Amino acid sequence: MVSTAPALRKRRPPEPPAPTRRRRSLRPALVGWSFILPNFLGFALLTLVPMVFGLALSFMEWSPWGDPEWVGFENFERMLRNSTFWIALWNTTYYAAGHIPLTMAVSLGLALLLNRTLAGLGFFRTAFFLPYVTSLVAVAVVWNMLFNPASGPVNQFLQFVGVSDPPGWTSSTAWAMPAVIVASVWRDMGYYMVLFLAGLQTIPTELYEAARVDGANAWQRFRNVTLPGLRPTTFFVLIMCTVASFKVFDLIVVMTDGGPGRATKVLSQLIYEEGIREGRFGLASAISLVLFLLVAGFTVVQFLLQRRRED
Amino acid sequence: MKRYPSALAAIAAASAIVLAGCSSSGSGPADPSAPVTLTVSAWNLDKTPEFNALFDAFEAAHPNVTIQPVEILADDYPEKVATMLAGGDTTDVLTMKNVTDYARYANRGQLLDLTDFVAELPTDKIAGLEPFDIGGKYAAVPYRQDFWVLYYNKALFDAAGLPYPDHITWAEYSELAKKLTSGTTADGQKVYGTYHHIWRSVVQAVAAAQTGGDQLSGDYGFFADQYALALDLQNSGAALDFGTANTQKINYRSMFETGQTAMMPMGTWYIAGIKAAIEGGTSSVEWGMAPMPQINAGGETATFGSPTAFAVNENAEHVDAAKEFIRFATGGEGAEVLAGIGVVPAYGSDAVTAAFTALPTDELSKATFTEDKEVVLEMPVSEVTSDIDTILEEEHELIMAGQKSIADGIRDAGDRVKNEVL
Repeated sequence: MVSTAPALRKRRPPEPPAPTRRRRSLRPALVGWSFILPNFLGFALLTLVPMVFGLALSFMEWSPWGDPEWVGFENFERMLRNSTFWIALWNTTYYAAGHIPLTMAVSLGLALLLNRTLAGLGFFRTAFFLPYVTSLVAVAVVWNMLFNPASGPVNQFLQFVGVSDPPGWTSSTAWAMPAVIVASVWRDMGYYMVLFLAGLQTIPTELYEAARVDGANAWQRFRNVTLPGLRPTTFFVLIMCTVASFKVFDLIVVMTDGGPGRATKVLSQLIYEEGIREGRFGLASAISLVLFLLVAGFTVVQFLLQRRRED
Repeated sequence: MKRYPSALAAIAAASAIVLAGCSSSGSGPADPSAPVTLTVSAWNLDKTPEFNALFDAFEAAHPNVTIQPVEILADDYPEKVATMLAGGDTTDVLTMKNVTDYARYANRGQLLDLTDFVAELPTDKIAGLEPFDIGGKYAAVPYRQDFWVLYYNKALFDAAGLPYPDHITWAEYSELAKKLTSGTTADGQKVYGTYHHIWRSVVQAVAAAQTGGDQLSGDYGFFADQYALALDLQNSGAALDFGTANTQKINYRSMFETGQTAMMPMGTWYIAGIKAAIEGGTSSVEWGMAPMPQINAGGETATFGSPTAFAVNENAEHVDAAKEFIRFATGGEGAEVLAGIGVVPAYGSDAVTAAFTALPTDELSKATFTEDKEVVLEMPVSEVTSDIDTILEEEHELIMAGQKSIADGIRDAGDRVKNEVL
């Protein structure tokens, strides 16, 4: 859509259209607007207004038991001075850098595996999707048990294959984040696998046949037919996965609660703690703004890259 | 003109009715026996029997009042109450789980000022009222005053042929713990000499109470010895390691009740819990209670504790009934109900001590309860308490999980408190 807009503009006749025509062309626009109006109203009331309000709030000091007071950049100064903010910012980036590529690779791999005729295909597709519909608290608690440093199956397996000093996982500052990432990839892979499967169905089989006739091997067919054919899906998955990664909250709260120490504390958690527990709405809004800019920044960069690739 | 006086009379009569209406609704409930549903916030009702005991006794004394508990998960209690209050919740009576949370709510003006109400109470008999004084004002009244003691499993001591931990030092405690670590329970679980729950108070508040250190100061050198002791116990296998206890969300009650630990420092609130577990048939532990181990032998017992209190919500719907409930729960009648189920009431009298039948009958347990002792507030109250609490909690976790040395953890906690809070 975006890339075709300039072409349309060029084709438009240079002289202004007749007035009757303009009135007629207004109508479809109005019809279109009326269709999206109910959804837009909901979005505006419940998302857009609170977001703009949150932006203003980050320049105020306001707790639920007092009147808001304009404090300028004080919340931001306080945020930048707080070592926990920097740690949470780093942890959020760390989590995203691990979670996004791993989830995409694993879910694409699963989709490729399950995109063929195979006995028990439905069973496997369901099995891989199940983690996504399982209660997150249950997932986190069970992964905690698996990761138990002393008696957990993960370390027992590692010791069995010869690792003499397996990591302490969630009780170690260095390994807690990898443990959380593994659990989250396991949980999310089924959902993105379904998206990739849908994308794979849209690639015409003629292209594969033609590639095969031209003598392309499996890797070349994947590289030159599957990946380009999946590009819209990949882009969508990438955006969804990025947004979900940066706002991770629930899994971390249940699995490690930000610990040990501050080793897995992420921005959403800090926002919750400052906003809800300590009642510092202004400071929490300032941190939210940073998170928003981070997510928006990454998304815009991905859109730009995508457009350049299409041109 | 003729009708003028009668019109005046009508106005006078009307205003008299209005005034009468005002005065009757202004001075207490219009009808004291009108049915009232009083809401009270509480946590884990099945494991905290004091709530239902108090509610039942109060309802029996006030047949027109029905108490509706607002049950909240104990671990989430402070956050949940903060969220409720921020949302304008109208729960009448709010239970203050600790003084830190109390100060937070009171400073936000979310609790009704009870200063005049407290002045009418027999304050000389209520222990633990002092921490609720904020600039000469009170917004809560304590109904229980817990302090920390050392629980021990008599059967495990007897089996090892060791004397009960009667007024011991920390060095003796450590030695006992190592000797008592042996074998497994009937279910095949390892038996530890002692169990330190993951709370930072187990190390930090003990150190503060017994060395006189200040947890709000930013100078935490006084934690060092207590950390060395706790780490030595878990490294030698005499105590369950912190990492496991934390990630597996170990319940201290089941550690003690299933005989997986021979000793356990814990607050007196647990007396009622053990009693309930034994009566409910889920535990058959033979237990006793000793004073907290001390740094040096022979002195007065120093331990820490914290009062639990009832407050009235600023937005309460039934203020009079709420005050009546607090008067009942924090007074002699409530105290006897509490003592009857093994909860340590803030209100003290001989009748209350006599009603305290949950204690084991041995002399050591009785002495632990009645002896003169210094009970230091678990965490001093100030505007920065909750920020410092967060920092101390995080550094505690790192030291106990072996991710930082004791010296580094103490230094980092101090630096963070001084740079970011004070």
